[in-house]
Amino acid sequence: MKLDIAIRDGSPEARRMGFFTDTTVCIGCKACEVACKQWNDLPADGSSFRSGGSYDHTGELSASTWRHVRFVETLSPPEAPLPTPLAGVAREDGSGFDLPLIEIAAGEVSLDRWVFMSDVCKHCTDAGCLDACPTGALIKTEFETIIVQPDVCNGCGYCIPSCPFGVIDRDPYDGRAAKCTLCYDRLQDGMEPACAKSCPTDSIQFGPLDELVPRAQARVRELHARGLDGAYLYGAGDAEQDAIAGGLGAFFLLTEPPERFGLPARASSPAREHGAVATAAGLAAAAAGLAGVVASVLWSHRRAAR
Amino acid sequence: MSRGRGAPAEQRIRDAAPASPPGRDTAPAVGTRGEAAPWRRAVEGARVALVREAFEDASWSFLFRGESRYAATTKPGRKSSHYETPVGPVGGGAGHADEPGRKSSHYETPVGPVVVAGPVIKAPVWTWEVPLYFWFGGIAAGSSFVAVACEVAGDQRSARVARLVALGAIAPGAPLLIADLGRPGRFLNMLRIFKPRSPMSMGAWCLAAFSTTLSGAVGADLLGRARERRALTGATALLGTYLGSYTGALLASTAVPLWSRSRSFLGPVFVCTAVATGASATRLALAATGTRRDHPTRTALGAVETGAMAAELILSLVNERRLGPLGDAMAVGRPGRQFRFAKSATTAGLALRLARRAGHASSVAFLVSGLVFRYAWVGAGKASARDDEAVARTARPA
Repeated sequence: MKLDIAIRDGSPEARRMGFFTDTTVCIGCKACEVACKQWNDLPADGSSFRSGGSYDHTGELSASTWRHVRFVETLSPPEAPLPTPLAGVAREDGSGFDLPLIEIAAGEVSLDRWVFMSDVCKHCTDAGCLDACPTGALIKTEFETIIVQPDVCNGCGYCIPSCPFGVIDRDPYDGRAAKCTLCYDRLQDGMEPACAKSCPTDSIQFGPLDELVPRAQARVRELHARGLDGAYLYGAGDAEQDAIAGGLGAFFLLTEPPERFGLPARASSPAREHGAVATAAGLAAAAAGLAGVVASVLWSHRRAAR
Repeated sequence: MSRGRGAPAEQRIRDAAPASPPGRDTAPAVGTRGEAAPWRRAVEGARVALVREAFEDASWSFLFRGESRYAATTKPGRKSSHYETPVGPVGGGAGHADEPGRKSSHYETPVGPVVVAGPVIKAPVWTWEVPLYFWFGGIAAGSSFVAVACEVAGDQRSARVARLVALGAIAPGAPLLIADLGRPGRFLNMLRIFKPRSPMSMGAWCLAAFSTTLSGAVGADLLGRARERRALTGATALLGTYLGSYTGALLASTAVPLWSRSRSFLGPVFVCTAVATGASATRLALAATGTRRDHPTRTALGAVETGAMAAELILSLVNERRLGPLGDAMAVGRPGRQFRFAKSATTAGLALRLARRAGHASSVAFLVSGLVFRYAWVGAGKASARDDEAVARTARPA
């Protein structure tokens, strides 16, 4: 199954490349965001400071934002019941949730700590966007990363709801889908991606996936030994049947439930998971419908003839 | 974050920037849209100045000497016992928490409700063209069924009307879909590859094939070639089974909770609407072209549209009940209003038909409710994708 839609352009020794993002050492400096924008010449987003009460003013990954440092703002004391705005109410446009600024200002709760996660395209083994793309614009490269070919994409938008991580998006001004390429152009020249290069704390590590995963597992053991029991890997080291989207090319070390980082607890390629069942159900119903129409018209004519 | 209102952000920044002083370029570097950096080297095989040949991370940095020991634990040639036990989230893995050195995992046993910090997935960007196409495609598929039924029953005239209804319904399909593309000029890329896994690809091929065989059937009829007409009408109906059902499969094959959780129902529901609207449209066309009231085809179509719409209503209600809280997206806001309206229109049409005082009102009601159902399904899917808690719950089955 691997590399079934890959392009092979003379890099026979290419290996699967990926990111290991360690949230325990991320300081939220956003150097990766800036480096990504600079290298890929991505446009400004016109973001405003503290939009919606969060210090995370990037908001989400988009067609023009391929790295996003997610700010997970936790409150103190954590055991206290959360004030209503945080406890549930997501913003209407779905861009996150609001912090209880009034309560913070009144000193009832304090912004205790941040956890940062530099979010990025996961470059899944079973990529939903890749399975959905009807034009072949999305491809798997020789590094087993997923890229959009901008000269092929016609902006049909089917990849957007097919991504279980909400990564890929269509640029409203440009009309095409765009996302992280894992700096395919830099990889071809033997350089590491811009975000990993710029990361000052090595929260983003880049390398061949088969070397990254053991390194990340060692890091988890180390954190457990230091007493951080909640540390775990998201998207790597799972048994095959439990792998998230078949295993992620860009995986994460997390310390809280994945939902706190806007990640689904499980994911798969929707076209693979649901496509056959949905198509079979639809076709069966359609066959029944066709038979029903024919039978009904025939019966009506027979009755009239009698 | 750009949402497509007004000028692009980078353009606004450029416009607001003061003019460059002479001799200097102080234009803000705010990027260009759409193109990634070029993936082909300008000069093939050229070396990049100062490039390091091997991949590396920043583990040489002084920042890590004390704090994180990546470099120490991953030195080549040094066997580490850390490598042996893979540690990671194993969903539903019983006994996993017993693993030594791993007292608890937030991942497996979340305490209490987890605050979901969304967004998790992105809502579809499709606009009004797509549900309208679903409706037209459904009518075309449904009337192609009617055409082949009339052929089988030997009712040439009704078959001709049904084929023309199908042709009229499928004609706006491709233009609507092209209008919804981000780059309409590249619509032919849809037929660049044949990808059975992608319902969108298969749908594009099916639409092309359906239009071709349908036009062929109409042409064969005009030329008076009976054998070709029958064969092409049959082929059109077979393609129609996919055309009328793939739209549901297309929505179900996404990460949107409402759609993917309705995967066994969306196709059948869309087929019911397709058969009903196709029969209604053909029935109205037959009436308009002077088919008498008690003509057997007209009677049969009345029964077909009633039966199909009743089945649609039942399937929808069963699905809604089955979905539970996930179905909330179908009850609130504009999609909720649309669902309620469509259900009322359907019920009214069914009641009129059962009371035998329908006239054409039932057919019109079914056509309208079929259209509103399509808009409601697409709109509710968008709302469901924005409901971060629903997305998170779908991904973590209890």
